[in-house]
Amino acid sequence: MNFTFESNESKFLLRIADTSLILAQRLAEMCSKGPFLEEDIALSNTSLDLFGRAEELYKIICRIENDKFEPDELVYKRNERQFYNLKLVEQPNEDFAWVIVRQFLHDVYAKEVFTELLKSENSEVVGLSQKVLKEIKYSHLHAKDWIERLGLGTEESNSRTQSAVNHILKYIEEIFNFDDIDKTYLSNTAEIESKWNAEINAVFAAYNITRIEVPPLSMRDYRDGFHSEYMGPLLSVMQYLPRAYPDAKW
Amino acid sequence: MEKFEAAFNAIIEQDLKVEPRDWMPEKYRKQLIRQVSQHAHSEIIGMQPEGNWLLRAPSLRAKQVLLAKIQDEAGHGLYLYSVAETLGITRAEMIEQLHKQEAKYSSIFNYPTLTWADMGAVGWLVDGAAIVNQVSLQRTSYGPYARSMVRICMEESFHQRQGYEIMVQMSFGTPEQKEMAQDALNRFWEPALMMFGPHDAESAHSSQSMEWKIKRESNDHLRQRFIDRTVPQAEYLGLTIPDTKIKLNKETGHYDHGEFNWDEFWNVINGNGPCNQERLDHHKKAHYDNEWVREAASAYAAKTESSVA
Amino acid sequence: MESGDKVWEVFIQKKPGLAFKHVGNCHAYDKKMAIQNARELYTRRSEGRAIWVVPSDQIVSVPLDDADAFFDPADDKVYRHSTFYKIPSGVKHL
Ligand SMILES: [Fe+2]
Ligand SMILES: [Fe+2]
Ligand SMILES: [Fe+2]
Repeated sequence: MNFTFESNESKFLLRIADTSLILAQRLAEMCSKGPFLEEDIALSNTSLDLFGRAEELYKIICRIENDKFEPDELVYKRNERQFYNLKLVEQPNEDFAWVIVRQFLHDVYAKEVFTELLKSENSEVVGLSQKVLKEIKYSHLHAKDWIERLGLGTEESNSRTQSAVNHILKYIEEIFNFDDIDKTYLSNTAEIESKWNAEINAVFAAYNITRIEVPPLSMRDYRDGFHSEYMGPLLSVMQYLPRAYPDAKW
Repeated sequence: MEKFEAAFNAIIEQDLKVEPRDWMPEKYRKQLIRQVSQHAHSEIIGMQPEGNWLLRAPSLRAKQVLLAKIQDEAGHGLYLYSVAETLGITRAEMIEQLHKQEAKYSSIFNYPTLTWADMGAVGWLVDGAAIVNQVSLQRTSYGPYARSMVRICMEESFHQRQGYEIMVQMSFGTPEQKEMAQDALNRFWEPALMMFGPHDAESAHSSQSMEWKIKRESNDHLRQRFIDRTVPQAEYLGLTIPDTKIKLNKETGHYDHGEFNWDEFWNVINGNGPCNQERLDHHKKAHYDNEWVREAASAYAAKTESSVA
Repeated sequence: MESGDKVWEVFIQKKPGLAFKHVGNCHAYDKKMAIQNARELYTRRSEGRAIWVVPSDQIVSVPLDDADAFFDPADDKVYRHSTFYKIPSGVKHL
């Protein structure tokens, strides 16, 4: 299939949709692997919010692109280099600390993005943002409370959280290398970055987590469909059925 | 004591509910703990066979439906652990019994799920059988158990439907899909029927359980109800029940059926099914890998929650 | 180890104006977690607009032995129920 997008708006929304989808898939991996039942259910809830968010965004994108394709085709038929999610959300569930740190770093960013999108000229995007911001507010609270528990809990939980942070931080830089498309739909990108930094720094400081210095990295941008090596296996699992049985309807 | 025992007997006789603080015979309590914890473990272990396809669900819709369904099962396990806790056993103790293989769970979950059609068959047959059983248990004599069944049955209402919906998609899809649907039915039919337990004559705990109204209907009775409901549903799909003896008996109004492979049933119950080891290992791994999280939460609470210590 | 794991009773108010209803319990290690776990467990199908959680061990109940002393004396106070009183037929709004 041909997956070229005519509109800059759909290119922009695709970044958020793909980010939601891949994070949802990662969280779904935690189902039946949570630290206790209540938290297992909580992680599934966040995953469901994100799948729903991705689906709504894909629907908007398909409409903008005159229904050239369907949401499921965007999910199941694109190849690795045609996905435009943050590398942050591809990172694996090494342990519960990774899950929480990844979620927290994502939610602080997503909160700022969807707050900006309340000003969108596209009424569907505004409506969706209003709904999504409530989900993010909750998930952000949930993740932040866990950062607090893990940061202040035991020596082991602090060091596991620190180690997750140290690994994951290198996928932050690209988030704020906003391009012209981003800047068309996000009116104040500098503020998004400064707010993100302010909250992360404050929370880390409060809960004994160090924000290590990350050197400038030679990493290619997610906006051009570049990924970490974790993306391929995730997609091959996710897309298996529609690719193995191209004629089947599900 | 006699006063309490008389009160207990009166509750059972009049079809009222026994509540946690009421006096109850020690055997009643033990029997309930055994049944409820087994039911709870079944819900939790039952997350795994469906979890096997969760990440491969073939549409955005299917992904969300399946995740919400598996999440419900986690909730059911949790409600049931709560019920057992009112009888004087902790969730930690029950999990330990599961890990030591002192507590059992339904043998159906020891079968592997091999194709996407199995997600249909599990929802349709396994949840279907569970619902027949759980509807009957809404009238169980232990109040918290009965109330949990009401809540669970309400939540279950979409589980069987989503399974049947997959079966419809597959049965009326491509020839390959239909083949997967028949294959799934072939593999899950008999194990699903055996979920109701051994024949009444061979069921060790059944008669006492019926007298105390913990169980309200016999294994064979419930199984027959399930068969009668399910055979026409299979016919609609154009699938063949893998039992040549299945036939509507005009006199009784029920479907006759062949005998099951009880040797396999007991062998799987006793730990020798295709996935027993894997199911247990998965649960243990999640539990022990995350011990540090629970320790952190405890330590954090100890430092900060002085008001409710 | 894991000593902080506690059981909390959960009460849900379906909508403003209705009484809080006991719906079950959940495990949690601290207050914030308890209220969140209650939300995940008991309001997934829009069952509530408000939640209370209370540590189970903080609930005080009447000892079983005293139940008859506590409750039976109310049984013969029929005059507390409106049906005890006879009102001539034809009299309205009473
Ligand atoms: Fe269930
Ligand atoms: Fe179910
Ligand atoms: Fe069940």
